[in-house]
Amino acid sequence: MATTPPTSGSATPSARPGNGLLVLLAAMTPEQLKRVFANLTASFAAEDLIIASPDAISELIPADAYSSLRIVSAPANNPAWTLTAADFLNAYQLAEKNEARAILMLSSESGSLGSPALRELANAVLATTDLAVPCYDLPPHAGLVNSAILYPLTRSLFASRVRFPLAVDLGLSLRMAKCLADAARNFTTINQGDVPLWPVNEATVAGFTIEQFDVGTCVQPAGPDLNTILPLVTGPLFSDIKAKAAFWQRFRSLPPADNSMPLSLAPSTDAVADIAPMLSAFRLAYTNLHEIWSLVLPPNSLLGLKRLSTTDAAAFHMPESLWARIVYDFLLAYRFRTINRGHLLGALIPLYLAWVAGHINITASGTAPERHIEAVAEAFEADKAYIVSRWRWPDRFNP
Amino acid sequence: MKKSASATDPLWYKDAILYELHVRAFADSNSDGIGDFPGLLARLDYLQDLGVTCIWLLPFFPSPLRDDGYDIANYVDVNPSYGTLDDFKMFLDAAHRRNMQVLIELVINHTSDQHPWFKAARLAPPGSPAREMYVWSNTNQRYRDANIIFTDTEKSNWTWDDTAKAYYWHRFFSHQPDLNFDNPMVMEEVLKAMRFWLDMGVDALRMDAIPYLVERDGTSCENLPETHLVVKKIRAAIDAEYANRLILAEANEAPADVRPYFGNGDECHMAFNFPLMPRIYMALRQEDSRPITDIMAQMPAIPDNCQWGLFLRNHDELTLSLVSEDERDYMHFAYSNDPRMRVNGGIRRRLAPLVDNNRRRIELLNSLLLSFPGTPILYYGDEIGMGDNIYLGDRNSVRTPMQWNSDRNAGFSKCDPARLYLPIIMDPIYGYQTINVEAQLGDQSSLLHWTRNMIALRKLFQVFGRGTFSVLNPANRKILAYLRDLDRGDGSHETVLCVANLSRFAQPVALDLADHNGAEPVEMLGYVPFPTITEAPYVLTLAPYAFLWLELQPPRLKPAS
Repeated sequence: MATTPPTSGSATPSARPGNGLLVLLAAMTPEQLKRVFANLTASFAAEDLIIASPDAISELIPADAYSSLRIVSAPANNPAWTLTAADFLNAYQLAEKNEARAILMLSSESGSLGSPALRELANAVLATTDLAVPCYDLPPHAGLVNSAILYPLTRSLFASRVRFPLAVDLGLSLRMAKCLADAARNFTTINQGDVPLWPVNEATVAGFTIEQFDVGTCVQPAGPDLNTILPLVTGPLFSDIKAKAAFWQRFRSLPPADNSMPLSLAPSTDAVADIAPMLSAFRLAYTNLHEIWSLVLPPNSLLGLKRLSTTDAAAFHMPESLWARIVYDFLLAYRFRTINRGHLLGALIPLYLAWVAGHINITASGTAPERHIEAVAEAFEADKAYIVSRWRWPDRFNP
Repeated sequence: MKKSASATDPLWYKDAILYELHVRAFADSNSDGIGDFPGLLARLDYLQDLGVTCIWLLPFFPSPLRDDGYDIANYVDVNPSYGTLDDFKMFLDAAHRRNMQVLIELVINHTSDQHPWFKAARLAPPGSPAREMYVWSNTNQRYRDANIIFTDTEKSNWTWDDTAKAYYWHRFFSHQPDLNFDNPMVMEEVLKAMRFWLDMGVDALRMDAIPYLVERDGTSCENLPETHLVVKKIRAAIDAEYANRLILAEANEAPADVRPYFGNGDECHMAFNFPLMPRIYMALRQEDSRPITDIMAQMPAIPDNCQWGLFLRNHDELTLSLVSEDERDYMHFAYSNDPRMRVNGGIRRRLAPLVDNNRRRIELLNSLLLSFPGTPILYYGDEIGMGDNIYLGDRNSVRTPMQWNSDRNAGFSKCDPARLYLPIIMDPIYGYQTINVEAQLGDQSSLLHWTRNMIALRKLFQVFGRGTFSVLNPANRKILAYLRDLDRGDGSHETVLCVANLSRFAQPVALDLADHNGAEPVEMLGYVPFPTITEAPYVLTLAPYAFLWLELQPPRLKPAS
């Protein structure tokens, strides 16, 4: 547990007047459903729960697996690897309809979350927290788009230490859910309900409380490939940052590091991944995409990339400060539509691969992955003045 | 069917960036030499990219166009030269989709003499409701204390009508008879016209010539209590039937006389700040902040839901009716040495020529426009430094076609150049081949990019639209320094220190900022931390015509760097 005292393993939230917790499930297989129901019934008094599922549960699992639970039907959702605007709107509408006090949104793989983790997320939002976010313990080379872009950007701009800003399992207070539903309507009204929302950003702007909980090792829903996923998450994040510019450009101090968050600081013991394909993608792009990068990046960054393009694989490492500037400059180019946004985000992919190759090299040399990710996040923070000044005065004539 | 408001915040106008344009002058889609709504629609992306949040359209109604559309012949239609009602609706919806509001003109002091109401009034028997839509008299000696506004063309406010066998009252041109607000039918018709546009979704109305609505003997026929009753009735009708709409008052009056148009927050939401505008130019030319600080000291407090409308230039002459005779003479010597630059006692020039096309002076004036208390209003073309043509009559000098590119007719129209409603500016300094949008979009250092960046910056800081204003009085009067402060309501403040050098030479200044001891100023354009403020005078040096915007950050929120 991260920022609140752990609850007793045997304790269950006491029954409260009215309905308690709405648990909104993603679409699941029968096995996944059974695991989740087992965890839920072990964690909560049945009368406190309302389970909302898009699945026809009675057709998927035996009745005795859920007989004590109150099940309501939820609108069908995409088998998504992330939570979308439509999901948040559905969650709020269901909570309102069923007079729930708080919401727990669970992904298809949430069966791998233990009962204590579920209780912590739920108890927090049933008490005073607005947004309860899990901190997953993922394999060293998993979730790197998050580690390289989403986490450091969110941390530097919104002064939040939430390690997984796009977590697929969340606890929401009712007012947090309303806030997200309001944001979601901007997308659902124009038939863009599948756009990811950024709960941490919304909560920060609204001044709501956020808590992060260690939920241990957890399986993540399978997502699409990198070429798809990177534009799909960075585009909406960049848009959200643009919309909230007046907020994040104020100085905000980062909350102190939470030392109780047991992120692994041990060196990776995984087999070293082969970085050769990543480097060859980067080097090919250095030749083919240089013209596009020149529209986006200032001379110092281009010089850094030139040096990288001739660096040996064994010594390959994208300097953290260079990576931070690259992401910031792509964010600016996205804001100003310097080139077609799809092409822009596509041009970021080989640069990201270069960062990943460097990350793998560093972790293979004995540095704990989390230490490197922390260094990256600190580089983003240290250079926040750069993005603010460029945002305010986007003159191309800069260093 | 009544459309709901496009803005969700009732005080949206406080944070707005207004852009004034004439449909006729902006973009021509059908190659007839006259701008139109489809042309404007095609240029909405440009306005959105510039950062405009509200478009103010000059009159686009059917009109004989003897006063550029302020002589309206039908309140509830679109002049066929500009398109159709459907074209207007398409434009309106497209603007709303871009989160832009639309402000149109409600010219209710007078109509055209070609309006059916006036044609009927001339024929109607004296005393009948149709006749009494206008102000008639058997003598031209009534209301003798009212001044003549268009002194260059009118000798009297009364004109004899042979058909009616009576004089009719007109505060402006003789072809613009004044409506008679003592006749209840006039108010009914005005409200009907107003509802027509508001039902369609129009967000805001500019009430033209508002001080002159009612006439009474023995008065100047300006700002009468009866006029305020008319305004209150219109506002009450809007508040009763519509949400988040706006009335903007055009009252070219002294501060004390403009103030009543806000009422107790129950008349106009906004009013132009006419008294301030000429004094900005005076301060610049005299290199002395006193004209600005003096007039600011006279500005009365206004209700919380009200706002000043700020402008440097507009479609009319730079009016000097609110300055003393000496000041008027000075302004003429300073800014219009050629008599052709003058009309009706004012100066009919655009912003860039007024300041001799000096980029730093243009930027300085715009920095004041964007940081003074109120909502800034840009006049079309000034964002690229367009010039004027003083050889055109009346105020047409500043109403020439928008210069989009260096193609034929500046990209405004594909028509034969001879068909253009007014000629394009073609001189070597301001000509369309030098000054145009396309060229400036391609030039990162252009005035257009600068203006866009400044607007974007202003929009990040709500303090500019909603904060208080207090002048600092440094010993060096060539420096204008003031603080803007916004209480965010959560115990925190957004505070900005603005310092402007009105001189053509570098100037030092020592500011007393002891009240902000400990705060760290951060230069807002470049996000550059400045030395921390102490009890000692805060010393700055400014380059010629330079300005600084410094956000005063509390000590606990220092930047990471």
